[in-house]
Amino acid sequence: MNQKNNLIVGIIIGLVVVASYNVDANPIEFVEGLPNLAIVAEEMTQVDAELFGTAFWSMFETIQMAFIGTIVGVAIALPLSMFAARNLNSKFVYGPVRAILAAIRTFPSILWAILFVIMVGLGPFAGVLAIIMYTVGFVAKLQYESIETIDADPMDAVSSIGVSKWQLIRYVVIPESAPHLLSQMLYMFDYNVRQTSILGLVGAGGIGFYIINYIKFFEYGKAAVFMLVVLITVLIIDWISVKIRDKYIIKSQHGMEVTTT
Amino acid sequence: MELLLMKKSSSISTIFTKKIIQMNNVSTSYDSKNYALKGINLSIDKGTNYAIVGKSGSGKSTLLKLMNGMMSPSEGTIKIEYQTPKMNDKNFKVLMHKIGYIPQSLGLIKNISVLENVLIGALPRLGKIQSMFKIFPEKEIQEAKNILKLVGLSGKEERKAYMLSGGEKRRVAIARALMQKPTILLADEIVSELDQATAREIMELISDAQKRMNLTAIMVHHDIRLALEYSNRVAVIQEGEKILEIGIEGDKIMDFETGGLTNQEILEMYSDESKK
Repeated sequence: MNQKNNLIVGIIIGLVVVASYNVDANPIEFVEGLPNLAIVAEEMTQVDAELFGTAFWSMFETIQMAFIGTIVGVAIALPLSMFAARNLNSKFVYGPVRAILAAIRTFPSILWAILFVIMVGLGPFAGVLAIIMYTVGFVAKLQYESIETIDADPMDAVSSIGVSKWQLIRYVVIPESAPHLLSQMLYMFDYNVRQTSILGLVGAGGIGFYIINYIKFFEYGKAAVFMLVVLITVLIIDWISVKIRDKYIIKSQHGMEVTTT
Repeated sequence: MELLLMKKSSSISTIFTKKIIQMNNVSTSYDSKNYALKGINLSIDKGTNYAIVGKSGSGKSTLLKLMNGMMSPSEGTIKIEYQTPKMNDKNFKVLMHKIGYIPQSLGLIKNISVLENVLIGALPRLGKIQSMFKIFPEKEIQEAKNILKLVGLSGKEERKAYMLSGGEKRRVAIARALMQKPTILLADEIVSELDQATAREIMELISDAQKRMNLTAIMVHHDIRLALEYSNRVAVIQEGEKILEIGIEGDKIMDFETGGLTNQEILEMYSDESKK
């Protein structure tokens, strides 16, 4: 490592120290606080097994919310991404659409949830709406980026047949970007399950509602049951999405190349 | 001239004298000084098997893109069946469907089946609703299967395009072009990357289809010997200019424009690359 790199590393460390001082991030307090964590951890081990039924039902509700949010969100995001892709539209079309999508992404889902709780009242529906908004903003962005990277050759070859723009989208753009879309849907569903779990914090339904309430009343053992169920669910979803990915995405992206000779 | 004896005696009928493609003094430029093509004059009769030969970067692919309207010339005029090609022109779009274009990269859609790739050639004949829901009329599906049989791919209709070999992919691209029921077939160096035997199979297939459907085929080649063997007319492009055009009738070579070079000199110029 040369002098210049040493200097850069030194500056970065210096900046971290200065910033920590500014925000009162003190490592000594962290060490002193460790015993408190032990108390919480000990209380968490006093799991209230009776609550597992409720936990599973509320998890099921959460999964359903995430499922609706993902599917509806993707269904809205897909056409929007077609309008936002630079290789399919003029800048007068993709410009405004991108601006709207960027605005949607500015709010994290918890802020959308607060907004929708005000609109439609407490409960899972507000959570579903929040998940939809968040999914639209993100999937549309990921999707228009993947549309822009699809191979120009099939696009040129098929447009030279004299097809309409909609036929081009239906027969080239969608099939060519389908593996990406499936991958994004799986990622988004996984992400939405975890998101929905905390939307309960603002009263937008789901398992988070129970977690935040038990924590508020210092009943860590009861909260632990719900957190354990979230953990198990996320692991299961992760396992399933790996299976789906292997079957449909990896294979089509690294298509077996058979040589001529 | 043993090269010319190899040529199959093609029976182009001379009654088709309609000029299907005409280019007058066509130039394309990147900027005011650099030309990709300079003052190209071409006149192609209906039903000809025409070949354009040149080295990489000579501008031969640009010529094909001018013919199907994907590019526009900066100078000069082009007429395809008396129309000026222009991609976004509604009137030309109808004619575009009659021009089968196979790019060097083939442009197949890798995640869908062979049959679906071929059916894409029929899309302009479909209604909005039909194409939105992928409802192809039975007649078109039968047609696609017949064409796949013609190009030697029957039994492989349901294979995904990415699973095919290089030769098979070319057959699918040809089938898609034929599905357009074209009057003109443009092919950009589609056999250059193949071994000799497979390249010949593909060339046979195209000349067969060209004669059977009375197409005007315009093929871009790297290898002048292949061009002389399968085409009635060969134009040589060098650094954006047409330096030679020869016609072949029976076993005789007919010079149209030689630019002072002898045929032997031209053949020698390209022989290094064609030995591969």
